[in-house]
Amino acid sequence: MTVLRRLLLFFMAMLGYWLWTSHFSLFGLAPQLLLVLTVGVAAREGPIPAMCLGFGWGLFLDVLSPRLFGANAFALTLVGYGTGSVRRQIDVTGLAPQCVVVLFMSWAYFLLLSLLGLVFARDFLWGGWPQFILDPFYNALLAALLFVLWGRRP
Amino acid sequence: MHREARISNYLLAGFALVSLVLLSLPLSAPVLAFKACVAYVLNPVAFYGAKGAERLSGIPGRVRGLLVADIENRLLREEIRRAAWVQAEADALRAENQRLRPALGLKPPEGLEPLWARVMERDPLHWYRSLMVDAGSEEGVALNTPVLGQKEGRLVAIGRVVEVRPRSSLVLLVTDELSSVAATLSASALEGLVQGQGGRRLLMNYLSSEVQLQAGESVTTSPTSATFPPEILIGTAVRVRPRDPFLTYQAVEVEPAVEGSALTEVLLLKKALPGRSQSMARSQGGGVSQDAAEAAR
Repeated sequence: MTVLRRLLLFFMAMLGYWLWTSHFSLFGLAPQLLLVLTVGVAAREGPIPAMCLGFGWGLFLDVLSPRLFGANAFALTLVGYGTGSVRRQIDVTGLAPQCVVVLFMSWAYFLLLSLLGLVFARDFLWGGWPQFILDPFYNALLAALLFVLWGRRP
Repeated sequence: MHREARISNYLLAGFALVSLVLLSLPLSAPVLAFKACVAYVLNPVAFYGAKGAERLSGIPGRVRGLLVADIENRLLREEIRRAAWVQAEADALRAENQRLRPALGLKPPEGLEPLWARVMERDPLHWYRSLMVDAGSEEGVALNTPVLGQKEGRLVAIGRVVEVRPRSSLVLLVTDELSSVAATLSASALEGLVQGQGGRRLLMNYLSSEVQLQAGESVTTSPTSATFPPEILIGTAVRVRPRDPFLTYQAVEVEPAVEGSALTEVLLLKKALPGRSQSMARSQGGGVSQDAAEAAR
């Protein structure tokens, strides 16, 4: 993937995330598109581009949020790194492995954000059980959809 | 693979360090400056996204408005077309009304009642000879029924019925060569016979050779006419023909008051049926019906 295409993906993903969360959320639930994309990039391209993009997307999320600045950047960097590490052990380029990785990474992401809140703001930033339980599945569905649209890595 | 792992470790360490600094020192000047820079670069995404979404959200409403306007436009165009048709119809009726109004003042001779008929057909080969009207024996039209037209509110002799069918009649125009009408010159009160020439003009014969004739006199039907009521305008004398030493009478050329080709309706003076004339006269309306009713009484 060329630098230009990555830049395009970087900005289009942010725009898509913003549009989805602002206008197409169902009962307050919207998938973490940026997290799904970070996992997808890590699975297809490796951890280095995924971590760079994840860090940038995390900063974008932090700018939008009034809470801990840097928490999302850190969490998505870790998601990219974690997926890249898993990639060395198992093949995550398939549909089912990618959905499973997204599912677990989503839970890890939520827990990490809450823990960071507890450490740096002395507040366990808990989004609520519905979000914690349903959002990962929503993310997994989105990952499947993106996999179909994007296609398997040649 | 090892190289990638090593770089990713370094990257993780770098990004983690930056993140932890940002998290640890949220109110320090460098972090605030960094946050401002990031916001400056990334906030336009949300800003322009919001503007774009606002514009996109207005599209369905605008499209709907456009469709409604299009439907309204079509309906209004249809209405305008219909209104134009109604207007044309009203204009035609008004014109017809104006044409027919003077005829209401006609006082038909005793035993006759007026019947309006429309001109159905003209034979292009016999333009000055005949025309077909949409009244026939079912309406009481009989042979030799006089047929009148009108010009500027005055009744004009047009011809007579020569063939009667159930719902139509053939009218022989006064301009046909076979037509002849007893007529008088209005000013000099001379009586003659107006004959058709098969063309536009008529010829009035048998005028006294002793009298000095002048063009411009009106020619009307004579009381001695077997077909037409008296004093019905035929036309105007336009040219006195040079005297013929071998003839004992004079002749003038007459311009018909109305051309048969210009008529759309004609008035037929049919014979009133006994007992029916009152109701028929009423159906014709106005002064005519009153006169006809009086005549029937």
